[in-house]
Amino acid sequence: MKYSSLLVIGFSFLVFFSCKKESTTPTVTPFAFVKPAHFPAPNYTFVGNEVTQDRFDLGKQLFYDPILSLNNTVSCAKCHDQAHGFSDHNIKFSNGVDGTLGERNSPALSNLAWYPNFMWDGGVNHIEVLSVAPITNQLEMKETIANVVAKLNASTNYKTKFKKAYNIDLITDQYMLKALGQFMGMLVSSDSKYDRVYTGKATFTASEENGYTLFKTNCVSCHAEPLTTDFSFRNNGIDTQFTDLGRGQITQNASDNGKFRVPNLRNITITYPYMHDGRFFTLAQVVDHYSNGIKQSTTVDPIFQNTTGFNFSPTEKLDLIAFLKTLTDNTYLANPLYQK
Amino acid sequence: MKNIKLFTFLAAILILLVACKKEENNPSVAETGTVKLMLTHRWDANNSTNFLLDLPLVHPVTNDTLTFTTFNYYLTNVRLKKADGTWWVHPESYFLVNLSDTTSFELAIPNVPIGTYSAMEYTLGVDSLRNVSGAQGGALAISNNMFWSWSTGYIMTKAEGISNNSSSGSFSFHLAGFEGPDNVVTKRTFDFITQIPLTVKNGKIIEVHYLVNPMHLWDNSPSVSVLNNIATTGNNAKVMAKTFYNSIIFDHFN
Repeated sequence: MKYSSLLVIGFSFLVFFSCKKESTTPTVTPFAFVKPAHFPAPNYTFVGNEVTQDRFDLGKQLFYDPILSLNNTVSCAKCHDQAHGFSDHNIKFSNGVDGTLGERNSPALSNLAWYPNFMWDGGVNHIEVLSVAPITNQLEMKETIANVVAKLNASTNYKTKFKKAYNIDLITDQYMLKALGQFMGMLVSSDSKYDRVYTGKATFTASEENGYTLFKTNCVSCHAEPLTTDFSFRNNGIDTQFTDLGRGQITQNASDNGKFRVPNLRNITITYPYMHDGRFFTLAQVVDHYSNGIKQSTTVDPIFQNTTGFNFSPTEKLDLIAFLKTLTDNTYLANPLYQK
Repeated sequence: MKNIKLFTFLAAILILLVACKKEENNPSVAETGTVKLMLTHRWDANNSTNFLLDLPLVHPVTNDTLTFTTFNYYLTNVRLKKADGTWWVHPESYFLVNLSDTTSFELAIPNVPIGTYSAMEYTLGVDSLRNVSGAQGGALAISNNMFWSWSTGYIMTKAEGISNNSSSGSFSFHLAGFEGPDNVVTKRTFDFITQIPLTVKNGKIIEVHYLVNPMHLWDNSPSVSVLNNIATTGNNAKVMAKTFYNSIIFDHFN
């Protein structure tokens, strides 16, 4: 009798275990996208590309790997270096495969999950297809997507990591792009002094405060807080004629000629040179432009029509620059999470 | 004692069996068949010549001599109209037809419920949703070279080749555009004759043959001596794509 009771208990256990549902992931997920409390809701929410440590790590490995380029010499990180706010090393135009020069200044990368579209001209409409442009651009990584996929499939290391991250045996461009998209979407800069003041955790100096007041009066109509961009495309009066049509090249609408993305200003101090063509080397030059250097043209932004600028005083210029320096986010620039 | 033991043992096995039975509310398997779209590529006004790559073809209207080296197009979102007027929708319905790969001319649609269907609908091009939803797989994978990286979107039809009539010696038409006035995506509905509907039988394959004729790219577009390249969205792309898409005709069942 005792024996049979044991049997029943034993079988009950069997029943219990054999019917246990295949659990997908452990309930504890410490690794996640965290929206800073003072930021709006992001545009990219990782749907179909849910955040996991394995996916993020894989995306990071790809971001730092020159395997994405034609002759395995140029990685994403080459022109998007963390210490430089994920822009290039203070050069106007970046060198691609064989040293060829690009045509626009490498943009600093941060808070990409909030962008409705990408690039200086907004030509790319989704973070998951963003990397296709630099990989295939003849002046940049000059590689085909099919070749990249073939190279990745020839790597046991990558095959193992894709299997772990996405449970696929054959690597496809879809998942390579999702991994890169996940890494880039996780690049969040929200701990500059500006952010800490914005959230009541720090205070500006008198000069910074004056600069912030000038910024709120003159700049936020484009550099909207707290992301410091409204993501629009505008002609900020740097040219009377356009050698690069910018947004107009994408929309094929002449009224968009000479318009470029309003850039996000985080880490602006270290991401020089400035503008889509890197024409200004210092913040003083940029502030001078907005003060008295505006040029008129058919598509110049309405706020700059029939004016040469805001006419800042010398002190105001210094205050504005003092404020812009508070946008440097050292936590972001040194975040070990993003390091190779 | 022994009987009790045996009984317990059997009962336990029974519990095991019942407890682990998969939740299946509909044990009877639905009867289905396969519909196969068969695409035949032709040339000339009467569809009298085979359309092949790497072969000089004279356009009957423009008189251009065209040797196509690439001809790819997307056919997507296949639906079938049921007897009650509602539509059966083929899930994940994306096909890339590539003239250099004859297997891509047969588009198999499995698991179609048996019955008669009065019409077939499909889309030439890729719907706007898939153009704005990030990295896709299968026929929509970017490695298929039918994607613009600089201005996101699928090339819906790609026609490339050489021609002495072109000043550059070649022609290249990348027809794209998924939104606004430049949208080239075209839905086609083919109503079958009432007496001869599309009939899907259990476990059987029914072929639906269509004639596709790239000569119609030039129905309202000029000779390659005038226009030999389209690499942006716009009216040129739209006109060329639309006349081609609208020229596809249903031929027969098999």
